Amino acid sequence: MTDELSALTVIFTEFYYWMTVVLMFLIHVGFCMYEVGASRYKHHQHTLMKNTILIPLVTITFFFFGWWIYWAFPTGPGIAPSIMTESTGLVLGGGFGANELANPMSPIMSIGLNDHINGVFWAAFLLFSWTAASIVSGALIERITTFAFGILAIAIGSVFWTIDASWGWHFDGWMVKLLGYHDAYASGVIHACAGGFALGVLAVLGPRIGKFSSSGEPRNIGPRNPWLVCIGLFLIYTGFWGFYAACNIPIFNLGPEYGLGDGVNFWTATNIYVTPTTLSGITMNFLMSLSGGLLAAYWIAKGDPFWTYSGGLAGIITASAGNDLYHPIQAMIIAGIGTIIAYKLHYWVERKFKIDDAVGAVAVHGYAGVVGLIICGFVLWGFPSSGYDGLGYAAINPVGMIIGAFIMFVVLGFIPGYVIAKILHAAGKLRIPREVELAGLDYNMMEAASKDEKAVSSSNR
Amino acid sequence: MATLTSWVEHLTTDVDSATEGMQVAGEIYPMVGTEGLLLLIGVIVWLAWHVGTHNSEAEELKKMARKAPGSNAHKNIVAEW
Repeated sequence: MTDELSALTVIFTEFYYWMTVVLMFLIHVGFCMYEVGASRYKHHQHTLMKNTILIPLVTITFFFFGWWIYWAFPTGPGIAPSIMTESTGLVLGGGFGANELANPMSPIMSIGLNDHINGVFWAAFLLFSWTAASIVSGALIERITTFAFGILAIAIGSVFWTIDASWGWHFDGWMVKLLGYHDAYASGVIHACAGGFALGVLAVLGPRIGKFSSSGEPRNIGPRNPWLVCIGLFLIYTGFWGFYAACNIPIFNLGPEYGLGDGVNFWTATNIYVTPTTLSGITMNFLMSLSGGLLAAYWIAKGDPFWTYSGGLAGIITASAGNDLYHPIQAMIIAGIGTIIAYKLHYWVERKFKIDDAVGAVAVHGYAGVVGLIICGFVLWGFPSSGYDGLGYAAINPVGMIIGAFIMFVVLGFIPGYVIAKILHAAGKLRIPREVELAGLDYNMMEAASKDEKAVSSSNR
Repeated sequence: MATLTSWVEHLTTDVDSATEGMQVAGEIYPMVGTEGLLLLIGVIVWLAWHVGTHNSEAEELKKMARKAPGSNAHKNIVAEW
């Protein structure tokens, strides 16, 4: 920070990530509106609070140990060696247990004049953590206890997604090295993982009362406010812009980083794997994949507003794995394919396995994310997963991406969600009592409000 | 099929040591050269969408018109969620 140009680069990068955090707040406004709109009136205030309480819980646990996990486990541990001594970037001394960067007692995890990046970078990742937990939240409405959801939110938001990011969303990640795993805008690391986690919980939690008839036929439990649901989804789209920008490194000199030659500079935006892309290019891809999803969903759901808006999101999620590299028309087509598959799978799983996903979260995030990873493996087959030549990184390939999708959706998603839900269920903490579910989680609040209302309206002074 | 197989090679293509900096081959998306085909597919998908959704919408509107429920009938069926 001693010369003006490097100071400008640092402060620009700091401001860039800060702005993405502000934009990503809108994702959570959107999720709150979406869930409140989807739930029935008698549950809506508790639904709002359940989604809200993940914010402080995931924040503090991400400070205590989540950020540490991301920096501690890229090599497995013990699955692939670290490349960090080769990088001009941060050198941590590598490996499990040697991670000083995100130790909550470290000076870098506080305000200090030597660092302008860790706080905003931590915050950008934190907003991804909130997103992972919010994805799970919607599927579970109207019957999970807030206590149980708090535990699950910490598990997905501060533990399991950060492990998967360490493995597959880190330039030093073993999945990138050995599998050629490529997931630029988090189709797998956030969406497939959180979707799989939600499915694991749903398998234990069970459906809402009345969801299935005695013959097993699913009934539609409609949203109390479809307009609010759709505006919520629209806000999620808006916040997603921040998500995409936060997945990039805004400016990086790849000349010395890649050893391009003496005195050779190449300043560019990069993705999280430090391979080049442009904000301009991903802007086109974001919009074309949103459009592909919207068009596909509108057609297949016959204009249903909830599924059309959800399809736009599913489209972006499907194309996200390779949106740093796809042509915009490729992004549009890929988005449409993923959206149609996600929609069909939602109803098939509901019917076949009696899974009650109240908002289609498993489909929009889980199935779309998995499909996106697999398609990416074929469309980007042979592309390098890293710019660090000569360090043995596998190229992007379909087998690696399929294995990666399995790790995200099943190993770090479904299995932990299922196991933790089973433990909570065995302790009697997972589901609200049947009587409360029938009366409505907000019944006591509504009764108290009604008494107050009568008292106020009958008073004359 | 991959447009590039090494970022280092791609970024040092056409390096001209007589000038400062580098010239870089710009396109990095898969299947460079198929833009015309992609555009054709995109336009076909777009037009097919109009045809498909128009037919679906027209069918739905015809069914509703045949039912002719009346202007106040909806007030009896609003869900009480």
